[in-house]
Amino acid sequence: MPVRHAESNEVSPPRLPLALLRRLLPRAERDEVLADIRTEYVDIAAEHGLATARRWLWRQALGSAPALLGWNWWRGWTGFEPRANAYRPGGPMIKSWITDARYAVRRLRARPTYTILSILTLALGIGGTAAVFGVARPLLFDPLPYSHAGEVVTFWMPYWWNEEEYTYLRDKYTGFRDVAMEEPGDVTMQAGDGPVRLLPGRVVTANMFDVLGARPLLGRGFRSGDDQQGAEPVAVLSHGLWKELGGSESIIGQRITLDGTPRTIVGVMPRGFWFPDPTTRIWTTQPINPQGRNGNWQFIGRVAPGVDPQKMQPYVDHLMSVLRDRFQYSTKGDKTHDGRFIPIRETLLGSMRPAVVATFAAMGLILLIACANVAALMLGQVEGRNTELAVRSALGASRGRLTQQVVVEALVIGLGAALLGALLAATGFRILATSLPLGAWGENASFDWTMFAVALVIALAAVLLVVLVPAASLWRGELRGTMNSARMGGIQGRGGRLEQGLVVMQVALAMLIVSGAALLVHSVTKLYAIDPGVNTKAIAVVDVLSSSDGTAAMRRQKIDEVAAALAAMPGVQSAAATAKLPLRGSGNSFGIVIEGRESQERTITYFRVVTNDYFRTMGIKVLAGRTFDNSDRMNDSGGTVVINEALARKYFPGEDPIGRRVRGGLTGSWQIIGVVENVAEGDLTDDPEPARYYSDQQVNWLGPVATFVVRTGRDGDAATMLDQFRGTVNRVAPGFAVQETTTMSRVLDLAVGPARQIMTLLTLLSVLALTLGAVGIYGVIAHFAARRKRDWAIRVALGLPTSRVIRHIVAQGTALVTAGIVLGVLGAVVLTRVLASFLYETGRLDPVAFAAACALLLVIGIVAAFVPAHRASTVDPALVLREQ
Amino acid sequence: MAPLGVLEEQVLVAVLRTRGDAYGMEVRREIEQVTGRELAIGAVYATLDRLEQKKLLTSRRTHGRGPSRRLFELSPHGATALAETRAMRQRLWKGVDLEAMLQGRVLRTSY
Repeated sequence: MPVRHAESNEVSPPRLPLALLRRLLPRAERDEVLADIRTEYVDIAAEHGLATARRWLWRQALGSAPALLGWNWWRGWTGFEPRANAYRPGGPMIKSWITDARYAVRRLRARPTYTILSILTLALGIGGTAAVFGVARPLLFDPLPYSHAGEVVTFWMPYWWNEEEYTYLRDKYTGFRDVAMEEPGDVTMQAGDGPVRLLPGRVVTANMFDVLGARPLLGRGFRSGDDQQGAEPVAVLSHGLWKELGGSESIIGQRITLDGTPRTIVGVMPRGFWFPDPTTRIWTTQPINPQGRNGNWQFIGRVAPGVDPQKMQPYVDHLMSVLRDRFQYSTKGDKTHDGRFIPIRETLLGSMRPAVVATFAAMGLILLIACANVAALMLGQVEGRNTELAVRSALGASRGRLTQQVVVEALVIGLGAALLGALLAATGFRILATSLPLGAWGENASFDWTMFAVALVIALAAVLLVVLVPAASLWRGELRGTMNSARMGGIQGRGGRLEQGLVVMQVALAMLIVSGAALLVHSVTKLYAIDPGVNTKAIAVVDVLSSSDGTAAMRRQKIDEVAAALAAMPGVQSAAATAKLPLRGSGNSFGIVIEGRESQERTITYFRVVTNDYFRTMGIKVLAGRTFDNSDRMNDSGGTVVINEALARKYFPGEDPIGRRVRGGLTGSWQIIGVVENVAEGDLTDDPEPARYYSDQQVNWLGPVATFVVRTGRDGDAATMLDQFRGTVNRVAPGFAVQETTTMSRVLDLAVGPARQIMTLLTLLSVLALTLGAVGIYGVIAHFAARRKRDWAIRVALGLPTSRVIRHIVAQGTALVTAGIVLGVLGAVVLTRVLASFLYETGRLDPVAFAAACALLLVIGIVAAFVPAHRASTVDPALVLREQ
Repeated sequence: MAPLGVLEEQVLVAVLRTRGDAYGMEVRREIEQVTGRELAIGAVYATLDRLEQKKLLTSRRTHGRGPSRRLFELSPHGATALAETRAMRQRLWKGVDLEAMLQGRVLRTSY
C-alpha cells in the first residue's frame, strides 16, 4: 500500500490545467469529467511517461477552453439543460432558481402585508374553485355506473306513465332492446324491536338492472317473473344498506320485513352503483297490473344495437301513434305530443347542471379577479423596486434573470395560496355541497384528496396568469432610464396602462357575478311574493312514519291522540295532521265524478286526508260553508268533503257547490260541506289546481307517512320548540318514528327551489367579488395617486385647490369603473344564459336587475377611488417637495 | 435540417460505435482512435450538448456502482441526420474519379 500511495502521488496531474478545467466545466458534470481526465492522465503517464501526460493535459485544458466558454455562454443563453442533469443539484439553472426562491422568501417575509394579502386573495379564489370542482366532478365529469350509459334513455313525461301503458307497449317498441320502468317506492323497515325506519327505495320492473347494464355484487338481480302476479316478494339492497345490515354474504336468501310484508333479499348491488340517485337504498318489484292506471312511473330503455340514440325521432313518432290508437288522453297526461327520448345522464343529473355550472363560472371569475388583484400588487412591487432592478440591470442582470425572480416570487406566493386554498376547499366543500340545490347529491358528496392536487394545478395556472403582468412591465419598461427618473424624483407619472387594464377587467368580471346575483334576487323576490294560500309563519312541521302494524282505526286514533297532545302544549294554539303537506310536490290524485253529471269527462283532482283542525291550524280561509267537525261521520252512503276554490270554479261554475255530491277515489258519494281558498298543494308556481279534502274520521290514512302541523303563538317558537314537539310525539306514540322536524317557512324556502339557493350563493360570491374588486380599484388608484404625488404637490403649491385634485383622481377611477361596467354588461348578456332555467317571470336581461348591478358597482368604484384621492389631497406639498 | 458539421458527424458515429457506453470521455477516445488526431474534451462536450439540444441525441444518467455518468444515445432524429449526411456524401462523390488523379500524382512523383 505505501508503495502504491507513493506511485499515485507521483502521477498526480498538475493542478493548474485541472483548475482551469474545473472553472470552465458545468457543475453538474464537473466531477465525472475531471475523474475521467485523471484516469486518462494516469494511463498516458504509465504508457508514455509523465512529461507526455503533462503536455497532453495542458493541451486538453487549453484546447477545451474556447469550446467550454462557448458552451457555457450557449447554455446560459438558451437555458438548455440536458435531461440527464435535470435533477442534479448545482446545475446552472437549478442553482439560480434556488437562490431566487430564498431571495423571494426573504423579500416576502420582510413585506408581511403584501404577502398576506396576496396569499389570502389567491387562496380564496383557489380554494373556492377547488371546492366547486369537488362538488361538480361527480355531476359533470364522472361516468354513470351503467354500462354504455349513452345507449340508455328515458321517455318523455317522466313519472306520468302507468302499468297499462307499459303492458300494452311491451311488444311494440321499435328501436329498443328492452324498456323498463320505475317509480318512487320508499319502504318502512322494522328490524327487531327498534323503531321503524323509512328506506328511500324504488319499485322497478324485473328487467331494470338489465336495461341499466348493472350486475349485482352478490346474488342476482331481479329475474323475469319477479314482477308477475303471485311471484315471491324480493328485494335488492344497495351496498351501503348491506354494510349497515352486517355486510355478510349469507344475507342472500334471508328475509326482511318491508312495509309489514316479508321480502327475500336476492341481491346486493356493488359499491358505487346508484340509481336513480345516491340516496336510494333498496329496490323492490311489485306485480305489474295490466289494467293499472296509476300514473307514477318513469320509462327507461336501452336502444337496440345499431340504433343511434341521437336519432330516435322516428321511433318516438311511431310510439306516439301506437299510443294514440289505443288510449284517450285528457290534456293533462297526454303522451301523444312532444315526445322525445332523453339521455339518462340528462334525466338524472341535467337539472343540477345549470346550478353547478353557474357556481363554477362565478367561482372561476372570482379566481380571475383574485389573480388580477395579486397581479396589480406584484406590479406595484416591481415598480416600487424600479431603482433596485435598474441597478441590477446596470450590473449585468439580464431581463430574463429579473423575470425569473418575479416568477419565483409568484410561485412562492402560489404555493402558499395552494396550501391555504386546499384547506379552504376542505372546509368550504361541505357548505357548498349542502347550499347548492343538489338534493341527494349534496348529501352524498364526499371530500377527496384529489382536491389538493386540483388546488395545486389551479394555483399554478393562477401564478402563470398573475406573473404575465409584472413580467410584461419588466420587458416593456426602460430599466436604465428609471435611475435617472429616480434622481429627478419621479415627476412624470407614467401611464400605468397595465394597472388600468387590470381594474377594468376586475370590474367587468365583478359585473358578471353581480348581474347574475341581481337577476336571481329579482326572480326570487317574485317567487316569495306568491301567496301559497297557507300561513307560513309560526307553524312547525313534524313528519312521522306511523307503524304499519295494527288496524287503520288504531293508527287514526294514535294520530288524533298525538295531535291533541301537541295542541295541549303551552305556547301552542292548535295542531293538526295531514297526509300530505302543501308545497311539497303533487301527492295523491284521484279521478272525480260529479253526481248528476256522470257523463262528463273523467278528470283527476288532488286528494288529501286531514284531521278536523287542519284548516284552522294552517290558516286556510273558508270561503263558503264550513270545515269538518266532530259531527261529521261516515255512513253507508258516504260522508262529507271540503273542496277548494279551483274545484268549485272548474266543476260548479256559477253554481253553489255546497250540498252537491261527488264520487271517485273512494266508495260511496260524498257531500260537499265547504269551499276553502286555493293552496299551493303541489309546487309554489303551479296554477291553482282542484283539490278535495277528506276527514280522517271518515277516511283511512293513505300511507304510513303523516305530517303534524303545529301553530305556535309566536313565530320564533315554531323553530325553537321543534325538539319539544318531537318529544311529545315520541312520548304519546312510541311506535311512530319522527322523520324530520322543520317549519312551514323552511318548507316554503325549499319550495322556492334551486333559484333561492343559487341566489344565496351568488350573492355571497358577489360580496366577495365586490370586496376584491374594491380592494383592486383602491390599490391601483392609490398607487396612481402616490406616483404623481410630486406632481400634485407642485400644482397645489402653485395654487390648485385640493378639491380639483380629488375630482381629478376620482374621475380617473370612475372612468375605469365605467369602462369595466360596459365590458361586464356585454359579457353578462352572453353568460346569464346559464341562469335562464332558474328565472321566474324575470327576463335574462331584466333591466331592473342590470341597472341595480351597474349602480352598485359604480358606487363601490367611486368610494374605492375617493379614499386614496382624499388622502392625496391632504398631503402637505412642502413635505413632499422636500422629500427628495 | 441543417447538414451536420464534421465534428458533429464524427461524434454521432462515435456514439453509435461505442454502443451503450457512450459518455463524453469514451466518445473522445473513440474519435481519437479512428481519426488518429487528438481532440479536446471540451469540444466533445460542447458538441454533445448541442446535438442533444437539436434532439439528435438523448442523454441519461447511470445509477449504481461507480461514478454517475451522463450516457448518450442516438435518437431516431440522429439516425435520420446521419443517413442524410451519408447519402449527401455519396451523391457528392458519385462520378468523381479520384483514383486517376491519385495515379497521376504517383506518376508525377515518379518523374
